[in-house]
Amino acid sequence: MIALLTGMLATAVLAGGVLALAALGEVLAERVGVTNLGVEGLMSLGAVVAIITVVATPNPWLGLLAATVAGAAGGMVFACAAVIMRANQVLCGLAVTFMGLGLSATIGHDYAGMPSPATFGHVAIPILSALPIVGPAVFAQNLLVYLIYLVLPAAAHWVMFHTRHGLNMRAVGENPAAADAAGIAVTSMRFWYVTLGAGLAGAAGGYLTLTYVPVWSEGLIAGRGWIALALVIFAGYRPFAATLSGLLFGLITALSFVGQARNWPIAPAILNMLPYLGTIAFIIVPVVVWHRIRRVMAAPAALGVPYHRDIR
Amino acid sequence: MARIVQRLPSVSPTRLLIWRAGAVIAALLLTTLFLALSGRDPALLAELVVRSTVGSRFGLEDLALFMTPLMLTGAAVTVTSRIGIWNIGAEGQFYAGAIGAAGIGLFVHGPALLVLPLMTFCGVLCGMAWILVPTLARAYASVNEIITTLLLNFVAALLTSYLAVGPWHDRVTGALASTARLPVAIPDLWGVVHWGFPLALAVVAILAATLDRTRWGYEVRISGANPEAARYAGIPVRARIVAVMLLSGALAALAGVSEVAGTVHRLQGGIANNFGYFGIVVAVLARGSCLNVLPAALLMAFILDSGIVLQTQQLTASTVLAITGLVLFMISIGDELAHYRPVSTSKEAAP
Repeated sequence: MIALLTGMLATAVLAGGVLALAALGEVLAERVGVTNLGVEGLMSLGAVVAIITVVATPNPWLGLLAATVAGAAGGMVFACAAVIMRANQVLCGLAVTFMGLGLSATIGHDYAGMPSPATFGHVAIPILSALPIVGPAVFAQNLLVYLIYLVLPAAAHWVMFHTRHGLNMRAVGENPAAADAAGIAVTSMRFWYVTLGAGLAGAAGGYLTLTYVPVWSEGLIAGRGWIALALVIFAGYRPFAATLSGLLFGLITALSFVGQARNWPIAPAILNMLPYLGTIAFIIVPVVVWHRIRRVMAAPAALGVPYHRDIR
Repeated sequence: MARIVQRLPSVSPTRLLIWRAGAVIAALLLTTLFLALSGRDPALLAELVVRSTVGSRFGLEDLALFMTPLMLTGAAVTVTSRIGIWNIGAEGQFYAGAIGAAGIGLFVHGPALLVLPLMTFCGVLCGMAWILVPTLARAYASVNEIITTLLLNFVAALLTSYLAVGPWHDRVTGALASTARLPVAIPDLWGVVHWGFPLALAVVAILAATLDRTRWGYEVRISGANPEAARYAGIPVRARIVAVMLLSGALAALAGVSEVAGTVHRLQGGIANNFGYFGIVVAVLARGSCLNVLPAALLMAFILDSGIVLQTQQLTASTVLAITGLVLFMISIGDELAHYRPVSTSKEAAP
C-alpha cells in the first residue's frame, strides 16, 4: 500500500510538472489579456527541440534552454500577429497549434523513437528524502520539480500581486484603455508576457522529453497543452493555484498508470481517457455547484479582446 | 501624433477577398521557400501537385472525396460561429458519428435501403450526444466551450481506437486496428466519388437557406451579435444556443457517417484524419456564411490533396498540418489588416 502511494505520488509530481509549467505560462499571457491557444503546438516544438539539442550536445540544461527559446520564438510569432497586428486571438492561436504540431513532426521525423541521450537525473535531498511516502515522491525527484512547483509560481505571485509592475500588468488585462491612459505601454506589456508565457510552454515540452517521457514521437503532447489551458480557468488565473491543479491532474494520470500496472479490469484506453474527462468535470462542476465562484475566479475583463487605441 | 492609417469599423467583401488572396499567396510562397531551402525542386513539386489535383480525373475524384467531409465539418463550425460560439470539437463528433454508423452497419443486417438511413440516424444521434455536455455547460453555466468540446476529441479518438482494436475488432481477416468491412455502402456516383458528395452539397444549401431566410436563422444571428438585446426582444437565447450546438454536432457526425459508409467502409483508429480541425479552417475562410463553405472546402481539399503529393516526396503528413496552420495564420492577419486604410495627413489636420 505504501509502495503504491509512493509510486502514485512520484508519478503525479513528475507528470503534473508538465501541466503546471504550461499552465503557469498561460496564466501570465491571460493576465495581460491575451488567450494563447497555441500552447499545444508550442509544447510540441519545445519537446522536439529539446531532444534535438541533447542529441547534439548531451546536456539536459542546454536542451531545456533550447526548448524555452523555441517556445518563446513561437510565442513571438503569435504575439506579432495577435498583439502587434491585433489579429483574432482564437484563430492565431489555433494556427500556431497547427504550425507547431506540423513543424515539430517534420523536423523531428529523423528523431522519432530515439531515446533522449541525456535526461535530468534524480537528486535525493538528505534527511527529507528519508520521510515515508513524501520523501521518495517529492524529495528524490529531478531538480526542476522545485523550480516548477515552488520558485516560478512564487516569483510570478510576488510580481503579480506585490509590485507596482504587477498592478500595471493586471490593469492591462482588465482595462487596457484605462491602463493606456495611465501611461502603461499596453502593447509591449502584452507582447513580452505572451512571449514569456510561450517560453514556459516550450520549457514544459522540454521538461516532458527530458524527464518524464524521454523519447520523441509524433503526437507526444497528446492534448496536454489543452488541459493546461483548462487548468488556467480552473485555477482562476492564479499562479500557485495553476501549479497545484497541475499536480492534481498529475494524480489523475498516475491513477490510470496504476490501473494499468495492477491489471484493473478496465481497458487501458478507457483509463487513458481519465485526464480529459477529469479536466472537463473540473471546469464544469465547480461552476454548477457554487455559483459565486464565477465572480471569485473571474477571467480578466479584457481577455481575448484586441486593444485598439483608435476606438473610444 | 499624425496617424498614417485609419481603422475602418467594417470592411467590404471585395477588399477582404483581395487581402485573403494575398494572404494565401504569401503562405504558399513561404511554403515554397521552405521546400526549396530543404533541397526540393519547387517546380517539380508544383507540376506534381497540379497533376494530382485538378490535372487528372483521379485528382478530381480525390478532390471531391476530400471535399465531402470538409463541407460538413466546415458547416458544423460555421453554424456555431453564427451565434458566437467556437465548436472546436467537430473532430470528436466526427468520431462519434463514425462509431454510431459503424455500430449499426456491423450488427444490423438488412437491405441497404433500410440500413443506410438507420446508420445515418444513429450516427447523427451519437454526434449530438457527444456535444451534449459542452452544450448544456455553455448554455446554462457559461463554461468555455472551446476547451470542453476540444478535450472530448481526445476521448473520442481513444474510444474509436479502443473499439477498432478491442470489441469490434475484425476477427475474420485479423486486420490490425480495424473492424471488418461494412456489408452496406453508400453507392458510388462517379469513379470513387459516392452519393455523400451531392448530399453534403444539398445539406449545406438547405442550411444556408435556413440560416439566411428564416426567422429562426435571424434569431440565431441576433443571439450571437448581442445576447442582451436578443433576450430583451424575447428571443430564448439559451434554447437557440442549445439548438445550434446540437445541430453542429449532428453535421460533424454526418461527415463521420459519410466517411465510414462511403469512403473507408470500416471503423479504424484515426479515421477522422483531422477533418474536424480542418473544418475550423473552412469555417474561418467562410466567415460565417454557409454558401462560402463550398469554395472554402474546395481550397482546403486542394491543400490536403497536395499534401498527398508531398508525402510521396519524403515529407510527413504533418507537413500539411503546418502548411494549413500557416494559411490560417496569414489569413487571420490579412483579415485584420484589411480594416486599415491609409489617410493623408492633410485630411487629418482638417477637423
